[in-house]
Amino acid sequence: MRFVVQRDLLIESIQHVMKAISSRVTIPILTGIKIEASKDGIKLTGSDSDISIESFIPKEEDGIINVEEIETGSIVVQAKYFPDIIRKLPLKTVEIVTDDQFQVTILSGGSEFHLNGQDAVEYPQLPVLHTDNSFELKNDLLKELIRQTVFAVSTVETRPILTGVNMRLENDQLDFVATDSHRLASRKIPLSTENDQLDFDNIVIPGKSLAELNKIIDDNEETIMISVTENQILFQTKNLYFLSRLLDGNYPETSRLIPDQSKTTVLTKTKELLQAIDRASLLAKENRNNVVKLQTKANNQLEISSNTPEVGQVTEEVTTDTIEGEELKISFSAKYMIDALKIIQEDRVKIEFTGAMRPFIIRPMDNEQILQLILPVRTY
Amino acid sequence: MTRWYPKNGRVIFHVDMNSFYASVEAAYNPDLKGKPLAIAGNPEERRGIIVTSSYEARAKGVKTTMPLWQAKKLCPELIVMRPNFERYRKASSEIFKMMAEITPYVQPVSIDEGYLDITDCHEQGSPLEIAEQLQAKILNELDLPCSIGIAPNKFLAKMASDMKKPMGITVLRKRDLPQKLWPLAIGEMYGVGEKTAEKLNKLDIYTIGDLVGSDLFQLKRVLGINGERLQNRAKGIDSSPVDPDAIYDFKSIGNSETLREDTTDDNVIKPLFRKLSRKVSVRLKRKKVVGQTLQVMIRYDDRKTITRSITQSNFLEEEDEIFSLAYDLFEKHWSGDPIRLLGVTVQSLVEKKEISEQLDLFSYQKETKNEKLIDVMNKLTSKYGKNIFQKSEVQEDRSQPRTSFQKDFLDDYRK
Repeated sequence: MRFVVQRDLLIESIQHVMKAISSRVTIPILTGIKIEASKDGIKLTGSDSDISIESFIPKEEDGIINVEEIETGSIVVQAKYFPDIIRKLPLKTVEIVTDDQFQVTILSGGSEFHLNGQDAVEYPQLPVLHTDNSFELKNDLLKELIRQTVFAVSTVETRPILTGVNMRLENDQLDFVATDSHRLASRKIPLSTENDQLDFDNIVIPGKSLAELNKIIDDNEETIMISVTENQILFQTKNLYFLSRLLDGNYPETSRLIPDQSKTTVLTKTKELLQAIDRASLLAKENRNNVVKLQTKANNQLEISSNTPEVGQVTEEVTTDTIEGEELKISFSAKYMIDALKIIQEDRVKIEFTGAMRPFIIRPMDNEQILQLILPVRTY
Repeated sequence: MTRWYPKNGRVIFHVDMNSFYASVEAAYNPDLKGKPLAIAGNPEERRGIIVTSSYEARAKGVKTTMPLWQAKKLCPELIVMRPNFERYRKASSEIFKMMAEITPYVQPVSIDEGYLDITDCHEQGSPLEIAEQLQAKILNELDLPCSIGIAPNKFLAKMASDMKKPMGITVLRKRDLPQKLWPLAIGEMYGVGEKTAEKLNKLDIYTIGDLVGSDLFQLKRVLGINGERLQNRAKGIDSSPVDPDAIYDFKSIGNSETLREDTTDDNVIKPLFRKLSRKVSVRLKRKKVVGQTLQVMIRYDDRKTITRSITQSNFLEEEDEIFSLAYDLFEKHWSGDPIRLLGVTVQSLVEKKEISEQLDLFSYQKETKNEKLIDVMNKLTSKYGKNIFQKSEVQEDRSQPRTSFQKDFLDDYRK
């Protein structure tokens, strides 16, 4: 195998596939990057067997030559050294040559590396998904769906299914839901597709996979193809192939746990509330659960306070647009509230409470697509 | 009176009740006075060992932790009684109340000993007078003997109280150390157990005086930081304060029990876990604390002991939660060999009023059943101030705790 490639393109591809590579894998060869040269270009592969990523560098794109002097072949290089070498090479291009002893020679300007490689035949074959169970989304919309939900997945393995994001398709609505059982984030989008065959409900994508995917795909209006099988999901763009295992098990039914009536409704400016909670939480960091207290007052005032006896106490007054319904005093985690408010782009939010011991709902005003739910904290 | 007190430095008492349980029994029943008396666990069971004994019994060679049959052999006329913890608890509480009348700086160490810092008590008399009055008061009002050590720090006070028993008052000043302290065998030193004594003997340290003169570097190599602490104490240096709250700094609450016979029988094991969990739960509630870590101890028939623990996000307090978690943990780690002893402990405790509990989406509906009550309570609290409500005390557990958990008894002497 031999080729000369634009170094910055190679670096980008390496960064993509590295997202799937872990040093703790059961199959040792998976600690390496597979490189394949074909007449169309160069393909890099990384995998930890949960996530597999392929990144393709086409030989030629929009009339610009990316890869030259291709002699086809393949090799697996050690991911521990290869990325740093490529990043630090002196020239804009790099030449990579292998011999039949699986020796890799890396040439750029005056530098010459010889690296021990492994036979690519040893590298596990990635499953090829044969399915018509596919639909398309715009890159930026998918990123939004991920960003607005994935932060709420559970980070502990006590209920493994909660470490994933639940993806559902119902009545031409695509719904992403994540919860760690203390808060829940949900985002719906309308999805009209010509594909009558499209059929899945209740699949659970590992939160880690989505977080990595979000880092790799560009924030643009190009489309990404999403294919679902029984135990895997594939995200595919022109030059990227991102395959993830799905989580086993049934995602708990959450919709019936979401209150459908409100006893106290607050309408207020998103940013002002966010900043007030952020300040109040400065003193709450010491206490468990990072608790702040919210209290409705007369004249549409909200009082947010926190008291940590060893540190001190803080009171924040927020002037809201309206407060309707019963008086309320409730305690909750400032962190969950900040997480929820941060992903809301709209100027104003509506918060609906149904009592101090029940979950409350945060939505952007006039936008039913986003729903954030937080369970309060009980103080003794 | 100030002339009896040091210009710089402290005056510390260590009050040590003399064969406390036996003395309390004798106070209840004067017929027992002057007779060899021992308090022991259930004689028919394996844990039938001597908990404490009167001086008359000790004179015959009866010792604490000795099996009952052995004690009977040494002293056939020995009177054996089961422990009567309610009595001891009451007596202890009275004693600490008397100490608290002298100074607020009282540090209970166990049910029958405590430290007092009387540095600022010169208006009440010289240290010796205060000690004599306290000793006399405990004897006259409770009919209980004690020994008191008077010294410039806690360690020396502790050593001093040990020097004359029963009914001794011993003053140990720094200038007395070469004659009174240093000739003692190293094993006599408070803080030096059997293992430590062995290690020190290997360094040719046989008396407390040897420890004073030993090489610090070598000591630290063998005993770590504790080596330095011990040497300092031997030199008469101990700056630890008399801390009235030290007794409240408990980090865990646990119960353990030795089985009648070694067993692998689930019909024995499971009920024992149930019982231990209940006891731990009762004690947690009594102390108004909760914890997130649960530890299970398993001792096998070959005395090999393992402990395994699990930490979780919600707080443990209820018997059922403790039981199911403990039993799970046990099943996961039990080797299947016969078991001699089981223990259940809840660790990393925090006071209940300091914590807040994050509600859970999948279980909050369970919590809301008391919602109205809590709502009313909150309204009244904000109207009339904190503490108008106290959860009614849990039913006092009259079962008799084992000796290692005596510290619970000391909670209420200041009430």
